[in-house]
Amino acid sequence: MPEKQDGIGFKIIALAVYAFMAAPIVIVVLASFSPTSFLAFPPKGLSLKWYYNIFDDNGFVSGFFNSMFLASVATAIDVMIAIPAAIAVTKYHFPGKTALTNFFTSPMFLPTVTFGFVLLQAFSAVRGVPTFYRLLAGHLIIILPYIFRNVVSVMIGFNWTLEEAAQSLGARPLQTFRRVTLPLIKPGIMAGGLLAFLYSLDDATVSAFISDHRFVTLPIRMMTYMEFSFDPTLAAISTVLIALSLGAIVLMERFVGLNIFLK
Amino acid sequence: MRARKNALAAALPATALLSVLFILPILFVAVSGFKQDGTKFYVKFFSDPYYRDILITTVLTALRVTFFALLLGYPTAYFIARSTSKYKNVFLIMTVFPFLVSAIVRAYGWQVLLGDTGVLNQILLGIGLVKKPVKILYTMTGVTIGLVHLLIPYMILSIAGVIQNIPRNLEAAAESLGANRLTVWRKVILPLSLPGVITGCILVFSVSMTAFVTPRLLGGARIKLMSTMIYQEVNAAFNWPMAAAISFILLGTILFFLLAANLATANAMNRLGGGKRA
Repeated sequence: MPEKQDGIGFKIIALAVYAFMAAPIVIVVLASFSPTSFLAFPPKGLSLKWYYNIFDDNGFVSGFFNSMFLASVATAIDVMIAIPAAIAVTKYHFPGKTALTNFFTSPMFLPTVTFGFVLLQAFSAVRGVPTFYRLLAGHLIIILPYIFRNVVSVMIGFNWTLEEAAQSLGARPLQTFRRVTLPLIKPGIMAGGLLAFLYSLDDATVSAFISDHRFVTLPIRMMTYMEFSFDPTLAAISTVLIALSLGAIVLMERFVGLNIFLK
Repeated sequence: MRARKNALAAALPATALLSVLFILPILFVAVSGFKQDGTKFYVKFFSDPYYRDILITTVLTALRVTFFALLLGYPTAYFIARSTSKYKNVFLIMTVFPFLVSAIVRAYGWQVLLGDTGVLNQILLGIGLVKKPVKILYTMTGVTIGLVHLLIPYMILSIAGVIQNIPRNLEAAAESLGANRLTVWRKVILPLSLPGVITGCILVFSVSMTAFVTPRLLGGARIKLMSTMIYQEVNAAFNWPMAAAISFILLGTILFFLLAANLATANAMNRLGGGKRA
């Protein structure tokens, strides 16, 4: 009996917290279908006009594709860099291993605003780097730790003698990696890659310092739009992004399992 | 020896990337700043109450956010870790999901909810609870709500992960020895879940110290924090040396708190591990 009681107390708080966590997300989705320019409560009908508005010439579409492109390139490059880095610190033993691991995760500990400003200053000293490559440089750094850490977390439990077994059966090193190692560490790569991709897609801090009119990402476009208008075009584009996150979490639950978040 | 060469080769790309695009720019900015202006702007920061207050406000805000995230996050974490419901996965998804939704989208959601003509004020005015709209957006309250919302998943996940690993029969054992629920919680669950609480608090504190998007969108121009100040010094005041000083002071403050937290944690763990007080 007493167990039930404390269960109920915590349950009420937990349900309230879940309502709190869902509230702004639900409200954005509702606002995107509102026929009025602000969300009236109770709503006065249903409209898709804000979704059509996205395609007006207001920079949202180009921003979306710019962001998708930037996030894809940054994630692809970092996955290829983070996998060997994770192998280095899990497969081998050498002095300074912990220091190296910390070094690879160090961008997480530098405030993103500080890094944004540092890059701005560095790129004003090294002139002539196109905006896209400046953004790419920034994103490569801020998302690397996410991929690295997730790959390391699956590699820690990895039985490296499997590689030796494959090689003793005549597999070449690259073949061993592709056929034995890679499939086993795939959940970590998927989880890290998805998180990193979403982080890059969402970044408005580093980008705020180094992006300019030549390459505007979606978050930057949204932030500048918000300074002048609250209209539900933002809600419509936000709902598209929410749908994208929903897709990501379905992928993650399918292929990785959400328990990685409880480690 | 060959293994060592392999390890070095594998670590090389990441090391090169971080050296050129991360360490080098930081050193360049720090060193060129000191060469040009010495400590002038650092001295100005700490002697001018205008700047000093911004640092104090930032630390207090981060502490307030951490407090509320813990207060709300702990019961939620316990609930999710101990849940045997078939909906456990739904709750887990609901915890992780906000985390994957853009910070800008979430801040926009709060603007729609908390603005002067927002949903909350429409309801409050509609039922006659208030006569004029309650000002939440563009106040410290708005920033706090937004930051707690942004960061509470970190707290819940850090704590739930640890509670999940505490065997259930420890609680049953304590109860069978006559401890009531409160005592079980205080003497068994709380000490054992402390590592998760500490990780969660450190994460939430350090991220809310540096959050930029949320305070910018929910705080407006009146709420001044370190992160938004850096941006303002660059884009409005065009005072780059000051922005550099604020950037490094922010970094220093966080490192200071991390170090303090580490020392305090080692202390607490020693005592708990000693077995006398636990």
